Amino acid sequence: MLSQPTSVLVVDDEFSLRKALRKSLNASGFDVEEARNGEEAVGAVRQRSFDLVLLDMNMPGVGGVEACRKIRGLAPQTGIVMVTVRDAENDKVDALEAGADDYVTKPFRLRELMARLRAVLRRTHGHEATQVSVLTAGDLEIDLERHLLKRAGQPVHLAPKEFELLAFMMQNQGVPLTHARLLRSVWGPEYGSELEYLRSYVKMLRKKIENDSAKPEYILTEPWVGYRFRNPSDPDAPPLPADEE
Amino acid sequence: MSRLGHAATRALLGGSAVAIVTAIFNQLHADFAIVSFIYLLTIVLQSLAGDFLSAMLVSFAAVVCLDFFFLDPLYTFAVARSVDVAALFSFLTTALIITQLVLRARTEAQSADLERERLDQLYRLSQQLLAVKPEAIGTSTFLEHYLGTFGSTAICLFDGEAATLHIAGSSTRGLPDRTRDAYLSGRNVEDPDSGICIRCLQVSGRITGAIGFENLQNPQVTGGSLATLTATLLERRRVLREAATATAAAQAEVYRSAILDALAHEFKTPLATVSAAAGGLVEAGSLNIEQLDLVEMIESEMARLGALASRLLRMARLEREEVKPRMEIVELATILEHVVDQQRQRYPDRSFSLSAPARELEVSADPELLRLALNQVVENACKYSCAGSAVKIQVEEESGSVAIRVSNTGSSIPAVDERRIFERFYRGAVSNHLVPGSGLGLFVARKIAAAHGGGLDLEAREQPDSDVTFRFTLPAGRKVEVDHAVTTN
Repeated sequence: MLSQPTSVLVVDDEFSLRKALRKSLNASGFDVEEARNGEEAVGAVRQRSFDLVLLDMNMPGVGGVEACRKIRGLAPQTGIVMVTVRDAENDKVDALEAGADDYVTKPFRLRELMARLRAVLRRTHGHEATQVSVLTAGDLEIDLERHLLKRAGQPVHLAPKEFELLAFMMQNQGVPLTHARLLRSVWGPEYGSELEYLRSYVKMLRKKIENDSAKPEYILTEPWVGYRFRNPSDPDAPPLPADEE
Repeated sequence: MSRLGHAATRALLGGSAVAIVTAIFNQLHADFAIVSFIYLLTIVLQSLAGDFLSAMLVSFAAVVCLDFFFLDPLYTFAVARSVDVAALFSFLTTALIITQLVLRARTEAQSADLERERLDQLYRLSQQLLAVKPEAIGTSTFLEHYLGTFGSTAICLFDGEAATLHIAGSSTRGLPDRTRDAYLSGRNVEDPDSGICIRCLQVSGRITGAIGFENLQNPQVTGGSLATLTATLLERRRVLREAATATAAAQAEVYRSAILDALAHEFKTPLATVSAAAGGLVEAGSLNIEQLDLVEMIESEMARLGALASRLLRMARLEREEVKPRMEIVELATILEHVVDQQRQRYPDRSFSLSAPARELEVSADPELLRLALNQVVENACKYSCAGSAVKIQVEEESGSVAIRVSNTGSSIPAVDERRIFERFYRGAVSNHLVPGSGLGLFVARKIAAAHGGGLDLEAREQPDSDVTFRFTLPAGRKVEVDHAVTTN
């Protein structure tokens, strides 16, 4: 575990939810502070640094997305997880584009929330350490320097763009990646709306790395938002979609 | 008689004028040419004032006078030269033609006046009627406006839509019954003997009622205009009424889905609190196995409630907003398998069968929306059939489209519900009590199908107790070209 308790700023306009989250997260060893709205949250981030911010999307005043943008500007290293009440995919895309690392939809299980928080924390805090050239996930092993992919020890042939796409996903495993971000990162900054490209590449990748491409275990679809790479060997891996997404 | 009398008087006056002209110009020994012009002038004046008969009589009198007083040999009816006969003949012809032309111009001017007056009257009438607020138009009020126009003494209106009869004034010749009969038979009545004129009211080819007049002047001309005006008024009132009802209904629906939306929102935060608190109990440790079990139960039920609320929320949103599918090429069978898997988990006691022509069957669709819609249709089949029923899903390629037929045994839809099940918030009388639901599912599913260029319908059944089948269609997908484009990239 971490030597110093992880600090979390819980931002929600609902008192009882803040209280429940504070007590529960405290019990799990997090150091929790509270803010009642976007303004307070931005103020708190100005005063001290947090490892994580848990930010409600629908708050009066400065909305969650705007607060997220400001916090990201003030604290680039802080992990931000948005809490949404709706499944409105636009909200999610907006939040991710505003700099959020992930989102959870109310109501969420505490376990699921903590898994998300840990995944985000690992990504934001382990940033300097991710310069490793070999990444593994389940029975996949990708060698970034030598442009090689092995599945259960067997080499898998990937086209250059397929490799880049998978490499980018594996480097950002566990967090949602919007279509636009994937396109920009793999194809270049002038891309962003060529969804058909992305979808056909994902389709081909799934055929090569998944057991059943109709029921993917690695490259999960985030409905209307994008994709999320799931590492099955990660204890905090998101559950596979079972029912009603 | 009086007409003849008038003609005789005018003929006498004209005759006197001819006599005076003859006397004066005979004294002056004027020659034929001058006198004939003066006679023509007299005849023109005569035609302007009188009728054809008198003008003709005057013309003949003038010819006789010309011959007797001004043509050689004078004071006899004999004519010396054949040229003179021609002159007399051409005078008479000219006189008669002038008479005819002048008279025609006069009657045309008169009928134009009449027409204008009639138009004025109709215009005033329609203005009066249009000025009345449509909601305030009682049928009898506007009949009152008609009464007296164009001399009518009784007016009767049969409103076909409401099947009601309205009358203004008092009829002495059975106008109400005849108006109703005219509506029923769809035939206009023109009965000059009893002074009755009845016209059917037509709106875009449809007969909406009939209007009857007693003692209407000039019924051939005015009857049609008044009937058109009435039909327009009735239609206007009907459309406004419909619009008002539709607005009220739409508002009610907006409120209803806004309430659903708010409810789902308000619902989810407390659920999150309970869930977080329950999770906190576990994190705090020191719970025994039974207690952990109970906490797990709380959490899973909270998750279930949350999923329900999400669904309601999504439905409410799709119901309210325009559905904008984000198309991609999807394998229909994959989606259907997924849908069946989900429903099988929820309804383990139904037997599912899925038959699709080929796994590779691809359609252009928004996979999320399509999944949502198909889930809804299949779930509907499960929800409204009893345990042990078979739910069959068949995919068929048709010309230009793909049809997904979802049928279930062991349930029926009452005929009254059949037409309405696709309406938003509509729930069959039986299902209202037996099966939970928002009444949005099929409405939203159909909306999604329509947004994809397809449709969702209930198939007609041969017998009331045969299987219920829903047919979901999508346009056939084009073959994927993107794959090639990308691999060469």
